[in-house]
Amino acid sequence: MKKQLYAYLAAALAAGAAHADTIEMKVYGLVCGFCAQGIDKTLRRNPATADVFVSLENQLVAVATVPGKDIADADLRKALTDSGYDVKAITRTQRSLDDVRASARKKQ
Amino acid sequence: MNPLKITLACAVLAGTSGVAHAKPIAFAHGTTMMAEYGGGTMNEAQVFYAPKYFLSVGGGYLELESDIDGRRREIAYARANYLVKRWNLASAQANVFTWGGAGQAYLSETNAHEFAWNAGAQVDYETRRVYASLKTDLHRGADFSNRIDTLQLGIAPYEHDFDTLATWFVVQGRQYTGGIHDGTEWALLLRLFKRGAWIEAGATTEGKLQAMAMVNF
Repeated sequence: MKKQLYAYLAAALAAGAAHADTIEMKVYGLVCGFCAQGIDKTLRRNPATADVFVSLENQLVAVATVPGKDIADADLRKALTDSGYDVKAITRTQRSLDDVRASARKKQ
Repeated sequence: MNPLKITLACAVLAGTSGVAHAKPIAFAHGTTMMAEYGGGTMNEAQVFYAPKYFLSVGGGYLELESDIDGRRREIAYARANYLVKRWNLASAQANVFTWGGAGQAYLSETNAHEFAWNAGAQVDYETRRVYASLKTDLHRGADFSNRIDTLQLGIAPYEHDFDTLATWFVVQGRQYTGGIHDGTEWALLLRLFKRGAWIEAGATTEGKLQAMAMVNF
């Protein structure tokens, strides 16, 4: 019983940690908000996507994932290619999307 | 050499030719709808769907009315657009598009319809502050040939972002072949867009309205 409880707690903690996961991508060619609509739409089609943030100023596309889920790099690159852009780097952070958003706006 | 040819030559030499924002392919699985009113000389509406990021298919309707002798063209066409090359740079993007299609044209001179084909190309370069674009669009049939060449040079007073309103001031030069308009038709436009909605309006140097609306979804 205790083991089950620990396992449950561990799973809950892991889910909580995953909730904070944000994927940040450095994207080249981001100069037009009208043209970049495809990024938002394409990434939101992925069931693992919780939210998306695009910053032209920071050449940044950030994706908050659904708790406990991830999006493979290949899928991220395909989503950006389908939107017409090139991904230069992908990093995964523990920052929330709101933190990423706030940080990006501070730089402007 | 007329002013448009000089400007086009300068743009090509400077490597800044192209239609920056208005692209015939939005994004994979995206749809673009556009309607343009061009100074009473040209009206056009288009709908394109992109199954791939480098390809879109759809159709359009083009009306041309000569301000020289009143001749009219009404051309309905199906078209495929292809992205030949895209350069995604750190703070800029450049593209080369081409397209081709076919349809039917009504000619007022003969009061008859005939088969028509269409071909064109567009090159563009843009940053968040400047852009330049050059487009050529040829419609041709057994009894007519009309080409529309459009140069646009734009400047933004501030750098917009994904969720903010973009404002652009655009100078447009347009030439028509086939007896539609003599010389270059210049226009000054105010362009606004936010998210997937775009609207622009202005006037030609002859005081005629020039306007365009477009949506991406």
